[in-house]
Amino acid sequence: MNIDLSEEQKLMARSAREFVKRNVPKTLVREMEKDDRGFTPETWKEMADLGWQGCVIPKEYGGVGGSFGDLAVLLEEMGRACLPGPFFSTVVLGAMLLLEAGTESQKIEILPRVADGEAILTMALTEAGATWDAAGVMTRAAPAGDGYIISGTKLFVPDAHVADWIICVARTSEGTRPEEGITLFLVNARTLGISYSVLKTIAPGKQCEVVFDKVKVSRGSIIGKENKGWKVVEMVLQWAAAGKCAEMTGGAQEVLEMAIKYANERIQFGHPIGSFQAVQHHCANMAIDVDGMIMTTQQAVWMLSERIPCRKEVSIAKAWSSDAFKRCTSLGLRIHGGAGFMEDSDIALFYRKARTDEYLYGDADFHRDVVSRELRLDAP
Amino acid sequence: MDLRYSEEQKILRNTVREFAKRRVPKTLVRELEEDAKGFSTDIWKEVANLGLLGCAIPSCYGGVGASFMDLTVLFEEMGRACIPGPFLPTVVASLTILDDGIEEAKASLLPDIAQGELILTIAALESEGITGAKGINVKATPKGGNFTVRGTKFFVEMAHVADRLLLATRTTNGKSAEDGITLFVANTRTHGISTEVIPTMGMDKLCEVRFDDVILSRQDMLGGTDEGWPIWQKSLERGALIKCAESVGGMQACVETTVNYSKDRVQYGNPIGSYQALQHIMADMWISMQTSRYLTYEAAWMESERMPCAKEVSMAKAYVNEAYKYVTKWGVRLHGAIGTTREQDVALYYRKAKAADTVFGGTDYHRDLVADKMGLLRDS
Amino acid sequence: MDFALTGEQLEMKRQFYEACIELEKLKPEGFAGLESWYGSDEYFGYHRHCAKEFAKRGWLSLNWPPEYGGTGTIIDVALFAEARGYHDIPGVDPFGVRMLAPTLLAFGSDELKRKLLPAIASAEATWCQLWSEPDAGSDLASLTATAVRKGDELIVNGQKTWTTGGHKADWGFGVFKTDLGAPKHRNLSFLVVDMKTPGITVEPILFMDGAHLYNAVYFDDVHVPAKNILGRENEGWKVFNLTAGFERSGGGEIMRMQCMLHDLVAYCNETRRDGKSLACDPLIRNRLSQVACEVEAARTLCLSVVDLQSRNEMSLMDAAGIKVFSSEVGQRLASLATDILGPFGQVKFSKWSPLSGVWEKEYQNFMRVIAGGANEVQKNIIALYGLGLPKAK
Repeated sequence: MNIDLSEEQKLMARSAREFVKRNVPKTLVREMEKDDRGFTPETWKEMADLGWQGCVIPKEYGGVGGSFGDLAVLLEEMGRACLPGPFFSTVVLGAMLLLEAGTESQKIEILPRVADGEAILTMALTEAGATWDAAGVMTRAAPAGDGYIISGTKLFVPDAHVADWIICVARTSEGTRPEEGITLFLVNARTLGISYSVLKTIAPGKQCEVVFDKVKVSRGSIIGKENKGWKVVEMVLQWAAAGKCAEMTGGAQEVLEMAIKYANERIQFGHPIGSFQAVQHHCANMAIDVDGMIMTTQQAVWMLSERIPCRKEVSIAKAWSSDAFKRCTSLGLRIHGGAGFMEDSDIALFYRKARTDEYLYGDADFHRDVVSRELRLDAP
Repeated sequence: MDLRYSEEQKILRNTVREFAKRRVPKTLVRELEEDAKGFSTDIWKEVANLGLLGCAIPSCYGGVGASFMDLTVLFEEMGRACIPGPFLPTVVASLTILDDGIEEAKASLLPDIAQGELILTIAALESEGITGAKGINVKATPKGGNFTVRGTKFFVEMAHVADRLLLATRTTNGKSAEDGITLFVANTRTHGISTEVIPTMGMDKLCEVRFDDVILSRQDMLGGTDEGWPIWQKSLERGALIKCAESVGGMQACVETTVNYSKDRVQYGNPIGSYQALQHIMADMWISMQTSRYLTYEAAWMESERMPCAKEVSMAKAYVNEAYKYVTKWGVRLHGAIGTTREQDVALYYRKAKAADTVFGGTDYHRDLVADKMGLLRDS
Repeated sequence: MDFALTGEQLEMKRQFYEACIELEKLKPEGFAGLESWYGSDEYFGYHRHCAKEFAKRGWLSLNWPPEYGGTGTIIDVALFAEARGYHDIPGVDPFGVRMLAPTLLAFGSDELKRKLLPAIASAEATWCQLWSEPDAGSDLASLTATAVRKGDELIVNGQKTWTTGGHKADWGFGVFKTDLGAPKHRNLSFLVVDMKTPGITVEPILFMDGAHLYNAVYFDDVHVPAKNILGRENEGWKVFNLTAGFERSGGGEIMRMQCMLHDLVAYCNETRRDGKSLACDPLIRNRLSQVACEVEAARTLCLSVVDLQSRNEMSLMDAAGIKVFSSEVGQRLASLATDILGPFGQVKFSKWSPLSGVWEKEYQNFMRVIAGGANEVQKNIIALYGLGLPKAK
């Protein structure tokens, strides 16, 4: 096993870092928090030109044909930049799901447009209960004629307000287990009966309430097999959790670097505060957390890339990273003292983001439960 | 409100402090840990002569008639000095007898306790180690006018030298675990009772006590048949509080020892106490001690005033358990390698802290009680 | 050792709670704690209304000497703070009433006392503090703003920062360098400044959630009468330390945590996730109970500090201890609460936010571990002045 980055990946990381540094300063990130769309179409297009949206899309669908490991490299750099926009939802929740389970015609129709930066996708999974398990899916898709009618409310759907296509996770029949009877539908976001509102949340990034009010969809819009959708969602959630870890890992490294820089520059009591042991140990604790994030994430990403079963490893990474990112940003903020509170503070941006990233695709307790099951501990 | 010690309390504190300084050096404490009996009869007698064993026993039974708050002051000093001996179980059991014993029991036992003629202990835990009513399963079966007791109690402090055992048994299986519990004050020399010392970390002579068809009479009963639980609960509460007081004293000693050591010990050319990383830990140790102190005082004051205080007691015990372990852990660590050796006082307190956590309810047991008292509903 | 309140104190306590319960009915939606008072005109108006109500009852001057209208003791002040904290009622200017007034009583000239105290007691004047500077945060002694004597006046120049509510204040108090040649701690004076004096500019510093609570205050040749110095000239450090002690010992915040805990308990009882009530979840029970124990520990520690204050025995160490502990418990509580709320914990006040979105705000309330002297600095105080540990070379 070799989980180090390849030479190509290192090159990719470097050029990605330069790109975001040049095109996505933190001032822009904060501006985008207040922007209705939440990202700039120009940057989105440039990213597509660099092949980012098509990173994991095979060449026959107009992509670059890279691996999940390559995508994780990009996500880490985006995490460093707090890059705003629907990249994660489009690529991880959308394109990867379609690649895994979509029909040939769905792939041909949508994936090349994703790679070109012309289609934005998302997945609508969570509902009022806000859980990441199948039991939380209450939205129904009832057969009607040769199609279905979807009704229900989805909550915390990332980027639905700008999406062209929404992959809706709906219940089509009642099985003996909640995992049974779930079907995925590829729905044009502009279909009659779909409405959304953007939630006001602590963090950058847009999450929406999406209401499906008797939305008519055709049979052809089913992704994968009817009633067998949950297996696909499970796979996507593993990618998403690992991908989120990569993003958080980037963020945490940036935070540590910012904290060290500030500690070396800020003078109090006649010395740089970085010369005080209390601050030094804060930084050391952050470094220890960051290292754990890097190691656990690389392991999970590599295994996913190689398609080795790794439910446990993904959950270890997400459980650790969710907690560690919060600790890091909290210490980073403390080291910045009053300067961290300001609205134009970069460190606060990460602090707020950590609160959202923590819960996305399963919070630490959720993943600790998964690890426990994998360790063969019985459910209560 | 006046949170200072009263003049009497100051005298009490100084009496114990001076006595301990003169008669109970830590070398002796460690020596007695190795002793089969585990305490010194001379010291026991002298403590009795100072009036400390009868501190809270009314003068009509040969005691001093002080309050529960005074007892707290007394035991804080005992904990600070780590005076070995069955002081705590004897005193707590004496309060239970005073509250709920029949007149003959009081008249025959209490004066002897005050004189130091009688050692009592409390048999609470069984093989499952559960503190609450569910953990009481030693059976007492009515037989003629008597009861036959069968089963085993664990972790009974100094049962090997005790004259009487305060014992909780199950006489019937009622609707809830709290129903059907009957208490006895058993003479340890009754036929069928055997004890064996369990080697423990605290070296505090916790015993296994076996009851092999032991015949106890109705005169040995404390409270009514099947009505023992409220009395037992009160007894546990008092035990928990006195343990908290002891722990606060232990923390005080540990903080003082550690602060002094860090002023003397030189590394890298400076006393280690001048390094900020260590200073901040000692500040945290001090805060843990102070918070433990006033949490304990408040609950003890309520107990002293005979106000309902189950919630406050559980809060104190849950908090102090963890604080004592935290303070002593850092006490050892700040001493470095030397802190782990048998001669060091911090190591003694470190072991005592773990032992304190296990009696009269561990942290999680008390936290769950607090959760109940906060109004978190168990099931709906 | 006696925790009991007297009959009179119990009666005052009853009145405090009664008044707060009445005022709670008028509370604007989304109002949450000190952090929001200065952020909107509506909230600030509510604060002013409560202040007037309290002033009418003489509660803003409870423990003042009788000649200035005092009728009670520091214990009453603590009980009043608890009631307001529990119901999250504003109305007590943290700077004018809680910090400046006791400092004025200890160090002010009779003239200053007569001039300034009545407007504090009647809630007519709003105050702010002028302490931190861009390069002097927790290390306040290295500040650079100057107040140079010129006859009967001081000419003030420089910049202050993190001035909470500076945009609403009539008066400010702060420390300035008055002896440019003297060493640290012996070169500062404690001044009160009329914020309407020409040459003062107040500019907003927006908090990370965009709220306007804090300000930068610029002084450009501002003329301040020399008699506005509290205590002696160049002995401002001593005065500052007393005032800072008043800032650091607050029981109101702890009672607010208790109230928020009660609300969380209700939420857990009402909310089902995955078919089970949150209140039954053993992890939630354990963690919530742990924080509840810590809040209670903070409350009793606070009582011990009030007890010391009532005899003027509070040391720097005691004030630092309660500040560090209660602020860190506050953060743990906020962190736990947002964990319990799950994704809803990130939602700002809106139809999707449980418990009025209070935890989203609380989670960003980093002020408490940093403001009033960062906890790291408080721990230095405990270590050096309390435990007597040696200074690093």
